Amino acid sequence: MNINKSNPLLLHPLNKWMKKKKWSWFPHQIETFHHVRTGSDVVVFAPTGAGKTLTGFINPIDDLIKLKKFKGLHTLYISPLKSLANDIVRNLEKPIKELDLNISFQVRTGDTTPYKKQKQKQKPPNILITTPESLALLNSYENAKVFFHNLKYIIIDEIHTFLDNKRADLLSLNIERVQTFSPNLQRIGLSATLKNKQDAKKWLCRKKPKIVSYENSVLPKIKILESKERIPWSGHMATYSINEIYKEIMKSKLTIIFVNTRAQAEYMFKNLWLINKKKLKIAVHHGSLEKNLRLKVENNLSKGLVDCVVATSSLELGLDYGDVEKIIQVGAPKGINRLLQRVGRSNHNLNTPSKAILVPTNRFEFIEAKAAIEEIQKNNLDKIDLKEGSFDVVAQHIFATACAGQFDINDLYKEIIKAYPYKKLKLNDFKQLINLIQDGGYVLKNYDQFKRIFQLRENKNIYKLVNRRETRKYRMNVGTIIENPMLKIKLGTKTLGNIEEVFIQNLSQGDSFIFAGQVLEFQSMKNNLVQVKRSKSVFSKIPSYSGGRMPLSTNLANSVRALLAKSNMWDSYPEQITEWLKRQKNISKIPKKDEYLVEQFPRKKNFYTVIYTFAGWHANQTLGFLLLRGFKEFNYKPLGFVANDYAIVLWSLKEVKEIKTILNLGLLDKHLDNYLEETSIVKRLFRDNAIISCLIERRLPGMEKTGKQVLFSSDLIYTVLKKNEPDHILLKSSYEDAKKNMIDYDRLREILKKIDKKIILKKLTSISPLAVPIILEINRENLSKKETDEYILEDLENEILKEANVLSIN
Amino acid sequence: MYYQLINFGNEEFHAYPNKSLYWKRLNTLIVSDLHIGKSISYAKNKQFLPPYDTKEILNKIFVSLDKIKPSNLIIVGDLLHDVFSTLSIKDQDYKNLSQYMKNTDFTWIKGNHDKNIQIEGFKNFTNYKIEKFLFTHIPIETSLFQICGHYHPKVKISHRGKTILKTCFVHNEKIFILPSFGILTGGLDIHSTQISDVLGKNNLSIYPVGQDKVYKL
Repeated sequence: MNINKSNPLLLHPLNKWMKKKKWSWFPHQIETFHHVRTGSDVVVFAPTGAGKTLTGFINPIDDLIKLKKFKGLHTLYISPLKSLANDIVRNLEKPIKELDLNISFQVRTGDTTPYKKQKQKQKPPNILITTPESLALLNSYENAKVFFHNLKYIIIDEIHTFLDNKRADLLSLNIERVQTFSPNLQRIGLSATLKNKQDAKKWLCRKKPKIVSYENSVLPKIKILESKERIPWSGHMATYSINEIYKEIMKSKLTIIFVNTRAQAEYMFKNLWLINKKKLKIAVHHGSLEKNLRLKVENNLSKGLVDCVVATSSLELGLDYGDVEKIIQVGAPKGINRLLQRVGRSNHNLNTPSKAILVPTNRFEFIEAKAAIEEIQKNNLDKIDLKEGSFDVVAQHIFATACAGQFDINDLYKEIIKAYPYKKLKLNDFKQLINLIQDGGYVLKNYDQFKRIFQLRENKNIYKLVNRRETRKYRMNVGTIIENPMLKIKLGTKTLGNIEEVFIQNLSQGDSFIFAGQVLEFQSMKNNLVQVKRSKSVFSKIPSYSGGRMPLSTNLANSVRALLAKSNMWDSYPEQITEWLKRQKNISKIPKKDEYLVEQFPRKKNFYTVIYTFAGWHANQTLGFLLLRGFKEFNYKPLGFVANDYAIVLWSLKEVKEIKTILNLGLLDKHLDNYLEETSIVKRLFRDNAIISCLIERRLPGMEKTGKQVLFSSDLIYTVLKKNEPDHILLKSSYEDAKKNMIDYDRLREILKKIDKKIILKKLTSISPLAVPIILEINRENLSKKETDEYILEDLENEILKEANVLSIN
Repeated sequence: MYYQLINFGNEEFHAYPNKSLYWKRLNTLIVSDLHIGKSISYAKNKQFLPPYDTKEILNKIFVSLDKIKPSNLIIVGDLLHDVFSTLSIKDQDYKNLSQYMKNTDFTWIKGNHDKNIQIEGFKNFTNYKIEKFLFTHIPIETSLFQICGHYHPKVKISHRGKTILKTCFVHNEKIFILPSFGILTGGLDIHSTQISDVLGKNNLSIYPVGQDKVYKL
């Protein structure tokens, strides 16, 4: 048998280098090489450490060597992170330099200097490594067509991170654009393992679509922290186990502790420092920290100069930190994929298992952690739902297209609906988006003389930018990631990072808070800079960050329900958990995996209803609001509710007698619109929509407007628009976004469809053991923003005034 | 409509949640900083805000005039956002305006935004004196009581761990500042240097505007 026939890669230019390194080709690399060579678009699924990056470059490098001194851009590599893009360059450099191959490659991101970018435009490298935003920008240049006309491959790295968000929409539109410029272009996607591989294929591939998959047979070793302490009923801070966590850090060479929020990261870091008697080197890493601080931590991590890093999802993706020995996940895993991604950050070696320890911060999380471990052993991943494309991203793309030159709207429409997320985009909606870019797209035509793009008189299908100056505005506005209004924190002259404006507004001079692992005292705020000094205070606030609250995945939720019902397992749990569940069984009931337990009991003069949906935080939050309205209708005089990932609790003045009549699909259909209107959810999403669609300008550093004002003015626009033109495309778009992202509409719908037949109603005389965690969470007001404002004003007035000179009726 | 009674310069004024001020004794309605046509001005720079602000502001005025039937309407400046603003005023709007002018005297104090613009039927002034009160866009050196606009005042209220920013009427002993009557207008914290340079920091009477009610702090 001719060995070269069985493995064509033995003739590949990189084979020499592989041999030198004593590495051999992976089966998925051979398979990918074959499929791509025979003209297929391919998505490759492989775990970290299985040469994924190289897999993408096998065909391009082979081609480039065969073509000899190919001039111009040949391969485009899209990475989700700037830091990853830089890492790819470093990895590519090794074989190309060592083999002295005649292939040029460069990186282009937001950090590339204008000079270098200009150079790249004039003399493009063979391989360009970039991000979706930089690709969008390249497509908005007048010479885009020439730049891309010889492009042979586009490689999308970490494609699983691109399937369910607006960045994916933006990327999909820009892939179609370069495909138009270069019809022979082939697409290669690289992904971590995914449950719904077919979906990723549909999203990316057009030509003879193929899936190549390499599964890791070595399963990670995950266990739950064995604690002598009591697992708390409620809360998310894991203070109870801090000493045991510290011991675990000491046992390993290098540990990453993952937490779920930035606030938790700061808190965990602070608590570790308080007990750091061995003077371990512990660092903190999260998305709000100044870039340089983050880079420093990442650097120390890869050089092994620290003992432990406390991190949020900011360290989930990215560079390989080969020496990380152990992962500690503090708090609920929330999803299988996410947990796997985190666990995979340790031991980047295919043949040794990753090691991880889960630290539940409350009792429900213990069950969740157990369930997650089971699912991982079964390799049962979460499905990533492909999302339908958002309108605002199309608007931005239309603007970009106009910046590149005049365009025919029919051609553009045909190109856009080739992109998977926009297959169902209606021509009429598309035309409204054209109008949106033209002049805001309002029914009232006030802006005829101020248009941004206009139709040619001789051909009404052709649109053109009115003024080239507008290209600058597009370039300032590009992208789909909208940050919350943030303020810079300065300690002396040093910038520590960014903090949410809302948090700072609630501080007074002299208040202390924790940021970047330090206790800081708030001094003043000037010109959007928050001036702080070091504080010795013990009592301090932790900034809360509104974003990033991940709901429990449906997959894991199902698994939690199944596990809860398995009473034969209970004896293997820590005694306190067993005790908790047994008492629940005696006093009330443990729901079977397809049952929905509802408990009702009186408590402190009020009447409580607890519904265990396991629907995740978003859906439960929505359901809580809807039920509040349902209860009002039945005159139960509801007072409030609290939701978490597992359950909702509502309390009312009167006994809720008709819960089975209220809790069904009708609830959703009847009250959803009202709910969306009354909470600020759609309003908040309208701001993102207005910015992404370039209706209003993005706030950039150095602009005098504070973030709050941008938010404020988009609120004004929202209010005026809602009143005068409720059918406007951007309102529609915001509403769709809300349904998709913020309220878990589909998930809620699925549950409500079947819930009425599956309700197990338990009338109790007092609170049940299972209800304790959520009852403990009742401490915040659950009022809409509007109501809160009025409440604050009224309360304040009553408190300090109490003189009745005030009201009279005209 | 609910109003808040405000005593300023020994006179009684009524502050309405629609951000207008009524001087009952002289049957005079006072508004400020309407910024009519702000949307047009932004459209000029290709920022396409909803073009309904002019219509809404005028409607708000007309509703007030219908209800209160004042003999005088005083606008303390920035009726218009800029020279392009008149483009957003339609023929029908002009007709309505002249109808209302039959029963109400329109006095237009010029502001920094509209000092060089004319509209038929409006009497223009840089400032306007009634008894011991001077109506002016930006306060000047004078011993009179002044009623002004310009600053679009807002007040930051922290209470029970929450902070909100609300549009407000505000005055000290001598100077009264109206909130902006406009639709797409933002605001300025009354403790910002621009406003405290004028009003000082202490002894302010502050009246935040709520949904249907003007409050008193």
